[in-house]
Amino acid sequence: MGNIKAPEGTMCTKSHEYALKEAELLKIGITDYAVEQLGDVIFVELPEVGARFSKGDVFGTIESVKAASDLYAPVSGTVESINENLSASPELVNEDPFAEGWIIKLKEFNTAEFQGLMPYDNYREDIEG
Amino acid sequence: MNTIMENIRKTALNEEHIKLGAKMVPFGGWNMPLQYGSIIDEHNTVRKNAGLFDVSHMGEVFLTGADAVEFLQSLVPQDISALKTGKAVYCQLLNNNGGMIDDLIIYRLEDVNDFPYFMLIVNASRINEDYEWIISKKSDYNVDIYNESDKLSMIALQGPFSSDIIEELGLIKSEQPERFSAKNAFIGSAEVIICRTGYTGEDGFEIVVSNSVVPTLWRNILEKGVEYSIKPIGLGARDTLRLEAAMLLYGQDMDEMTSPVEAGLSWSIAKNKQEIYSGKDDILMQLGGAGLKKRLIGFKMLDKSIPRHDYDIFIDDKPAGKVTSGGIAPYLGYNIGLGYIDAEYSPKIGDNIQIDIRGKLHPAQIVKRPFYTRGE
Repeated sequence: MGNIKAPEGTMCTKSHEYALKEAELLKIGITDYAVEQLGDVIFVELPEVGARFSKGDVFGTIESVKAASDLYAPVSGTVESINENLSASPELVNEDPFAEGWIIKLKEFNTAEFQGLMPYDNYREDIEG
Repeated sequence: MNTIMENIRKTALNEEHIKLGAKMVPFGGWNMPLQYGSIIDEHNTVRKNAGLFDVSHMGEVFLTGADAVEFLQSLVPQDISALKTGKAVYCQLLNNNGGMIDDLIIYRLEDVNDFPYFMLIVNASRINEDYEWIISKKSDYNVDIYNESDKLSMIALQGPFSSDIIEELGLIKSEQPERFSAKNAFIGSAEVIICRTGYTGEDGFEIVVSNSVVPTLWRNILEKGVEYSIKPIGLGARDTLRLEAAMLLYGQDMDEMTSPVEAGLSWSIAKNKQEIYSGKDDILMQLGGAGLKKRLIGFKMLDKSIPRHDYDIFIDDKPAGKVTSGGIAPYLGYNIGLGYIDAEYSPKIGDNIQIDIRGKLHPAQIVKRPFYTRGE
């Protein structure tokens, strides 16, 4: 698991989602730490494209072998796209959480909220306490 | 450290688990390995090769004396008088209403001092309840009861290559116990009670051994098992394996408010047993089809959603019961569950039902149990 690297500019929540800017969009997923804690991801329940979420809203559910966990919107925004590949291959979240294992992309997102998230390095320090 | 942490118990294999990189979790008061790697890999390793489990948290109660058979006859709905030396039987300890205090396996070992000698393997979470119940029922029976759970460890070697691995360790196949049998034996220099039982749906062994000897035996099995691609297996895969084999989990699929008839365990009950046992009137009535409050079903999801403990089961859009265990069936490749349907329904194999998952009804179908049966 130690070979996964968070890209530059990755911002995180205390509930272990990340947000990463991709041109005009904001890519959302769960962190490598969350993946380690969950173990094998076997199902991801995704929202509808076009759905609008406020920061902190449940936008989906991620299920590991052991349990179902809610996914919380790190910032307010509108779902521009969802990762359709997760339906057939939920293990992408385990294998490559920051790239192939992304979950949704937001458009028209709240920039101030994004800037208020924890930079990845601070997040790691926070969880490693 | 808080007081809860201090009360968590460790098995004699705790250091082995840590060396193997296990993710340790508290489980029923014990610090146990949840997984060493991927739960799905561990699951499939047991189905295809062999896996080694630490199940030392489970309880071992020994029972002997002139009245040992008669006493056990009074506690369980199975016929213990028919249990031959060296054989094992799956049982339920019943309260006075036929509810299950625990489920257990009773092994009849070689007589000791000319008295029948039994080993009861009970659930970790129920050791005290079981022991107190058994003692409370002892009255005038001439029996001695020993709870040896603290002194003994148990490891389970499960999977198609289990017998080969035990042979490599010096106990040849012709000397290994047969299915649902047990014997005193040596594996190398380790003195053990070796039982051909398990909780995975595979061939394999459960081995009872003293705490001082278990680390060496554990390491030897893993070492000899390398050529059979053995892996240590955590509680995560133990749960998915038992669910795929539709084996019930005490405290989740069964409890004191549930009878073995309701739990789909009628096959295990001795219908013509003459002796009185706790809960017998209720059990006989239920076997006759009266007095049931619910019935166990097994189901598979018809979409990719995952049923979990406590989700509601719907029939024709009306709430009809609850899921007690659910999850992925890694070997079968779909999602499955066990649950109870209210007795007013007569669920049949092939019937469509629905599972309420986060407020949406998902399609499922009642299927035959076990979900998975090993090939011969």
